[in-house]
Amino acid sequence: MLVNALFDDFRAHLDDYNDRRERLIKTSRDVTNLSKRTIFLLHRMVMEADADDDTAALQAAARGHEKLREIQRLFAGMKPELAGDRFWRYQRQVSPGLQEYTEALSFAHYLEHGSLITFDQVQRTLCDADGVPYFPLTIADYLLGLSDLTGELMRFAISAISRRGGRAKASEVCAFVRACKADFERMTPYVRDLSKKQAVTALSLEKIEHAAYAIAVRTSEYSLPQEMLDDIVAESISTFSAEDESRTRSGRRRDDDNPDDIEGLL
Amino acid sequence: MDPHDLENINVLLEREVELREKIRDQVADLDKKTRTMIGMLNKIHSTRTESIPALLDTVRPVLLSCRETMAGLVDLIPENQFWRWKDMWSNSLRTVVFTASLIEYLSSRTLISLSQVSEILGIKEEWKDRLSLPVEDYLHGLISLVNELSRFAINAVTLGNFEEPIRISNFVKDLFTGFSMLNLKNDALRRRFDSLKYDIKKIEEVVYDVSLRKLAPPPHASSTPE
Repeated sequence: MLVNALFDDFRAHLDDYNDRRERLIKTSRDVTNLSKRTIFLLHRMVMEADADDDTAALQAAARGHEKLREIQRLFAGMKPELAGDRFWRYQRQVSPGLQEYTEALSFAHYLEHGSLITFDQVQRTLCDADGVPYFPLTIADYLLGLSDLTGELMRFAISAISRRGGRAKASEVCAFVRACKADFERMTPYVRDLSKKQAVTALSLEKIEHAAYAIAVRTSEYSLPQEMLDDIVAESISTFSAEDESRTRSGRRRDDDNPDDIEGLL
Repeated sequence: MDPHDLENINVLLEREVELREKIRDQVADLDKKTRTMIGMLNKIHSTRTESIPALLDTVRPVLLSCRETMAGLVDLIPENQFWRWKDMWSNSLRTVVFTASLIEYLSSRTLISLSQVSEILGIKEEWKDRLSLPVEDYLHGLISLVNELSRFAINAVTLGNFEEPIRISNFVKDLFTGFSMLNLKNDALRRRFDSLKYDIKKIEEVVYDVSLRKLAPPPHASSTPE
């Protein structure tokens, strides 16, 4: 019967679409997980060294890039699924992974260069050896990924504050996040969800500012040189270290590190 | 952010906004046409069978005029970006499918195929990555057709056309069987498909009423109420 033949075709078509969609969602989830792990790895590695220890940051970035290559292999595997007009058909399925990846990549990039990764630089990591892109990077995913970076930088700055040279680092990060926020502001009307992320960035920025303020106020109470102050802080932290560790861990899980914790230590 | 990069991104974003506006204009144009057609086709419920062909003849030119809109639309869409923008006109396109399928049913009592609709709209194979008629939108249009036919069955009887409900019943049952073959996931199409049974029930009741009173000629049409 004619109608049946017609719908047989449609069924094959819809099944193909749904299957591919599921596969891509799954891979995108893997990408997200690996990206999160990379971010944790970066945090862990920089936390183990002094905050002004640039080689530690470089080492962390190198390890991070290594881990990111694993994700890049996943993207390479997605290439045939997203060829031609398919990319935009499944864009919503791959976008969460891409944003998380951009976040991890930009964090490693920041540790390495102290600057924001450019759009082209991200797209270049999504290309094969001949420079052919696996699929196009969207501006939205790039910007939303970067917007999440500010949250990681907040965590990075706050946990640096209590370590040697960390206060200088924190104010550096603070200026950087402030600049990011200003740059993104103009784009909020064009990118869906960016204004929501901007609000989160504003909160992160406030946390760093608050921590910097607390440090400044407390520092003024002692007329000691920076290095000695660092030592005093480091010493008081070592007595709290067991407690501190458990706090950072649970804080990360809750996804909001509280600057008050650091205040308490000083 | 690197000022050069920042500028680049802003330019790209602004270009996207411009494109969106241009697409919106085309879709508004398409909507104007579909509304006209819907208005005209509403008259089928109050038109006697013998005058229906004349009514359809007035609608067809409007349907064919959608070609120009589609051609204008395809020129706007960048390569490979069909799925990026299609949500902007999906609803309008579904309405077009609905009108085309209704016209086809009323002229020949047959189901219009996806490729026939594409052809009416002048959608070319080489447009594929920029503009096409997706299966989903075609199916949505067909569900609207069933919705409309369940109403038409009732009004046909009112106008003295007692055979129409039986024809509609056969047609819709075939379609329903077809839809049942699909593995639909939990989306709008699935929900609309689930609601088809109410339309079918409505049509069955009309068929029942008509047969019970022996208003329709005895069933060589083979459809007996269950």
